[in-house]
Amino acid sequence: MKNIIDFALKNRLLIIVLGLIIMVAGYLSYKNLPVDAFPDVSPSLVQVFTTTEGLAPEEVEKYVTYPVEVTMNGLPNLKTIRSVSNFGLSVVNIYFQDGTDIYFARQLVNERLTEAREQIPEGFGDPQMGPISTGMGLILFYYLDDTTGKYTLEELRSIQDWLIKFQLQTVSGVTEVLGIGGYEKQFQVVVDPNTLLRYDVTINDLVEKIKANNLNVGAQFIEKDAEEFVVRSVGLTQTIEDLNNIIIKSEYGTPIYLAQLADVKIGGAVRRGVQTQGGIGEVVSGMVVKLYGANSSTVIGRVEQKLKEINKMLPEGVKIVPYYEQKSLVQSAVTTVTDALWQGIILVIIILVLFMGSLRPSVVVALSIPFSILFAFIGMSYFDISINLMSFGGLAIAIGMMVDASIVLVENVDRIKRETTTEESFIHIVSRAGKEVVQPITFAIAIIIVVFIPLFTLQGVEGKTFGPLAYTITFAMLGSLIFAVLLAPVLSSFLMKGKKKGSESNQEKKEIWIVRKLQKGYEPIVKFFINQRIAAVILAAIILIFGGIVFPKLGSEFTPTLQEGTLVLRMSMAPSISLTESTRLTLIAERRLMKIREVANVVTRIGRGEVGAHTDPINSAEMYIILKPKDEWRRDMTQTELEEIIRAEFGEMPGALTNFTQPIQMTVDELLEGVRAELAIKLFGDDLDKLKSKAEEIASVIRKVKGAEDIQVDQVSGTPQLRIVVNRHDIARYGVNVEDVQQVIRTAVGGESAGQIFEGVKRFDILVRFEPEFRTTPEAIGQILIQAPDGTNIPLSQLASIEEVVGPRQITRENNQRFITIQANVSGRDIGSFVEEGQKVIDENIKLPPGYLVTWGGQFKLQQEANARFAVVIPITLLLIFLLLFFNFGSVKNSLLILLNIPLALVGGVVGLWLTGQNLSVPSSVGFIALFGIALENGMILVTYFNQLLREGESLDEASIKGAMLRVRPVLMTALTTALGLIPLLFAAGTGSEVQRPLATVVIGGLFTSTILTLLVLPALYKWFSVKIAASEM
Amino acid sequence: MKIIGLILMSFLLVFVAGCSDNQPKSETIQSEEHNEAEEHTEGIKLSDEVLQEFGIEVKEAGPGVIKNHIDLTGEIKAEPSKISHIVPRFAGIVQHVNKTVGERVSKGEVLAVIESNESLTTYEVTSLIDGTIIEMHMTQGELIGTEAHAFTIADLDKVWAILSVYQKDINKIKVGQNAKVSIGSIDNDEIGKISYLSPIVDEKTRTASARVILNNRSGKWRPGMFITAKAYVSESKAQVVIEKTALQSIDDGPVVFVKDGEGFVPKSVKVGKENDDNVEILTGLKPGQQYVAKGAFTLKAEVLKESFGGGHGH
Repeated sequence: MKNIIDFALKNRLLIIVLGLIIMVAGYLSYKNLPVDAFPDVSPSLVQVFTTTEGLAPEEVEKYVTYPVEVTMNGLPNLKTIRSVSNFGLSVVNIYFQDGTDIYFARQLVNERLTEAREQIPEGFGDPQMGPISTGMGLILFYYLDDTTGKYTLEELRSIQDWLIKFQLQTVSGVTEVLGIGGYEKQFQVVVDPNTLLRYDVTINDLVEKIKANNLNVGAQFIEKDAEEFVVRSVGLTQTIEDLNNIIIKSEYGTPIYLAQLADVKIGGAVRRGVQTQGGIGEVVSGMVVKLYGANSSTVIGRVEQKLKEINKMLPEGVKIVPYYEQKSLVQSAVTTVTDALWQGIILVIIILVLFMGSLRPSVVVALSIPFSILFAFIGMSYFDISINLMSFGGLAIAIGMMVDASIVLVENVDRIKRETTTEESFIHIVSRAGKEVVQPITFAIAIIIVVFIPLFTLQGVEGKTFGPLAYTITFAMLGSLIFAVLLAPVLSSFLMKGKKKGSESNQEKKEIWIVRKLQKGYEPIVKFFINQRIAAVILAAIILIFGGIVFPKLGSEFTPTLQEGTLVLRMSMAPSISLTESTRLTLIAERRLMKIREVANVVTRIGRGEVGAHTDPINSAEMYIILKPKDEWRRDMTQTELEEIIRAEFGEMPGALTNFTQPIQMTVDELLEGVRAELAIKLFGDDLDKLKSKAEEIASVIRKVKGAEDIQVDQVSGTPQLRIVVNRHDIARYGVNVEDVQQVIRTAVGGESAGQIFEGVKRFDILVRFEPEFRTTPEAIGQILIQAPDGTNIPLSQLASIEEVVGPRQITRENNQRFITIQANVSGRDIGSFVEEGQKVIDENIKLPPGYLVTWGGQFKLQQEANARFAVVIPITLLLIFLLLFFNFGSVKNSLLILLNIPLALVGGVVGLWLTGQNLSVPSSVGFIALFGIALENGMILVTYFNQLLREGESLDEASIKGAMLRVRPVLMTALTTALGLIPLLFAAGTGSEVQRPLATVVIGGLFTSTILTLLVLPALYKWFSVKIAASEM
Repeated sequence: MKIIGLILMSFLLVFVAGCSDNQPKSETIQSEEHNEAEEHTEGIKLSDEVLQEFGIEVKEAGPGVIKNHIDLTGEIKAEPSKISHIVPRFAGIVQHVNKTVGERVSKGEVLAVIESNESLTTYEVTSLIDGTIIEMHMTQGELIGTEAHAFTIADLDKVWAILSVYQKDINKIKVGQNAKVSIGSIDNDEIGKISYLSPIVDEKTRTASARVILNNRSGKWRPGMFITAKAYVSESKAQVVIEKTALQSIDDGPVVFVKDGEGFVPKSVKVGKENDDNVEILTGLKPGQQYVAKGAFTLKAEVLKESFGGGHGH
């Protein structure tokens, strides 16, 4: 290992060139790295959407969801299949193992989809895969602002669907543009049933006739003279006039036109979503979906550019107003960490200059930062890690650590250079100094990397969130090691050489004033502790006990929520609500929000628009709150404070639940299909009613188990249905088929498409349907006439029973079976025993029919898995650390002494959290991990030197004092650079800072106590842990 | 060696604590509202501003009349007793025709003159009634037989509206009920009484016919016309009548929200007769009681709020 230093010093030019190549490569990688706001925590998932107009959940499940699910079984890498059958929409989520290539997964799904399509009956919809995107893919939302007020909602929607959408889809990196709001334009043939009766036509005749009169055909070509003429017959219907003139039937030569039977007009299609704005009314809006893996910031840039172009093309008075952009989020997240990064670098350099006393060594050390960062970029691009809050955050955390190795080396060079009086060549000095420390720094950094191993084993959301951080820190540390071992000696040999000659004459052996001051103050203390070893033990014990007292006082939480900077107020209304009513309520809520001083505008999406991104039912409204610039606020506030104010002023909304959420969080939660409760008891079975009643029974017995809280059964029913059951005896009497009846119901009540009308490339459906007054009440539906084969007309109510019932709101399935979830939280006892008891009471008290099954899952399962993993990984990690220490020192005692750092560092971290009022959480755990590595590093520097002094023949006490005195500079420097490098993260208030803060707090707090230990307790305890070989070597 | 144990313990402690104590992310606002929802079982209190904001209207329940009707279709026919078919007595050559289709004729008026084949003398064909010629099959010089109707004359001062009654409605229709007859979509209607309901049902159409006699001096009811009619089948007085929009269903039963002190509470009711707009309440509501006529859905949602909070719909 020591040869590396010599090798580097012999091939200085080669090393410099190599360093430059790495830096250039790093820069190029950086240029090509995608920039996102957060790491994408979306699962590997392919969604299959099928819209089936007008079908109830039961039918959707039977005819669409089931065939799709069944064909997907047995795909390679398949994790699980979940589906939701809603009114008119089937969503099948096919989850693959993490890390499965999304294009591979889509290809597999697509192959099976062709099979599924064959099994879905004609006219029940065509399953389509969702956009090639993830939960982070919704990058920009906009609405159309019509200042003139003269465009109808159909016209605006046509502008959105046929102009803006097409233009935006051409932007590279945009995979889908989804429209919502307004009405899709439709040619409606509104039929009065009495007129049908008068002319003796059925509604299905109308559909057939319209279809038969709307066609263009080609008939090859004719040769005329020497030319070919293509023959085509043009008969497409183009206008309302054309439709009106379609002849439905002819009596004694008198034609009966469609116009006589129906009112043909332009209207809006049936919709399941509405977009409103400002409490004023409806608007038309669109969502831009980013392609999977595309660079968010560049795609957003291109979209914005395109929007400018499109704005010029739009009719006078209409313009596109973006109301949500991920750009601001990406920018502020990246700004938060980049700011912290720069501030950290500056603070680190200040420390360097202060302690080294001159610029040149500081430059050598400081150069380690860009080198390590650029090196990390190469690693990031190799492992496909995007630039985001967490990966950049990792770099910000590591700034102080990146310089550690170089500090130790350069400091040693500097010290030896000062001590050397002989005319030793400078290269030789560097080589000697390097060889002294190369081994401990290599091991120290190896240990830092090793302590991050547990982080790599994190799974799911946490794994995806903190993985990038662990990776970048590891890469940066590796980079810093390469720098310290290869480049630092070479650079110091160039840069520090001249200084020596100048300073030698007058300032020989003299330390920098600040270090002198430090040593002066430090000397008596360290001597005291070395002489009074018990005092050192007591000090350590006091610190530990204090930590032990504080520790239980800490609260705990999961990962703190990332603040996205965009407020979304979600309102859930009654499941049976109509779209008209939910729109009305939403507008009321919007008007309330608009009264709040900080709110500039509110744009709300109710339900869903074009499928692909959202599958919300119409009782859910998501209100995007657009804030005024900060200087118009009543005072400066954080997002949480603002939420409080809005909540208070918004007040209670009768008949609706409101809660704050955030756009990305919302989408990702939806994809994760998150049961956010600790426990999710799933009951699988076939019969919906039985599932519901059994689930309620289970809930009632679980409620009695000690520690049970917030027990809730999923609301699966609650949608009123008008159920029309055809009576087979009655239809037999008239010779009517069930289908004849159903066909009429479908057309008359729901409407039947009778082809399309083309306007250029735009195409609009022709919909045949009864006049509203003849289909909007159960009585009216009962009056619908069914024509028997012999021409008799029979009212529907004579053939079928019409009843109002409450039907399922949605049917959820997992792995091909229906299920219902019972959610629960547990307080005041251990979840494991709760589950055991719960299982027992269910077995004893509830008799499940055959084919019914209860499973236990939820967050607790993930935690159990994580804990089980950690139970293996952490001891292994500790063992590895111990082995590394042992290899370095060749002594168990020394290694144990170093490990003593860990509990003391822990105390500092715990106290740090306690003082700042923060909780134990995943990020703070990450902080502890980083802390161990750093704490061990300091101990190693010191103990290595003690050993060296012992070997040189010093007595134990002398070695301890001298070692401590000499090493106070590097120990303090590494600790201070690391701590100060983190200070900006501690005080950052920008986006994402809430995740970085606990981490920084832990490291800074821990460094404080562990440095005390390293400097005061370690020298004192060294005697008891010293190696005996020191004496024998003499 | 105890130190190692300590280190291990604390290391694990941090991890287990950091990873397992994850509190569910239940939003505080939600739980707050749960509590409020529970309070609401006492009665939902809403301020006047909120009532107005949400368009919730309170009315007083009281006695009323509930009218029910049945929608029927049918056609206009001339009264059979007011139609006369004129047939030439003897076959012969038509000498001349005096009248044509659409002309009004009076009884005894000469319609045409025919020369008989048998006697080679001419005779006059005269009208048997006062009325309008609605059909004529006769031209000058035509050799006409004695089989065909030469003229059909109808008196259209009164016409019949023949309405088809489907089986399901037959029992509700009674002679003497009022019916409003109208021509298609044109707002042109007249009220008459049902004067007859056929005792049999047509085998082919499976409908019975009901008859309404209409005055037709103006001539607007033309035989053959397609008509629609509303037959007012019942009219009953009730003690408590409320607007139909007030009815909500909770747990599969109908309820009405009534004002109880400060707040509103759901009251289970039994529903009697009803029509498109109003409904009779048999039990559960007293006359004079304040009930929520419009916007009751919001109150229902408030009652059920607790249940739909958890399962966001997907």
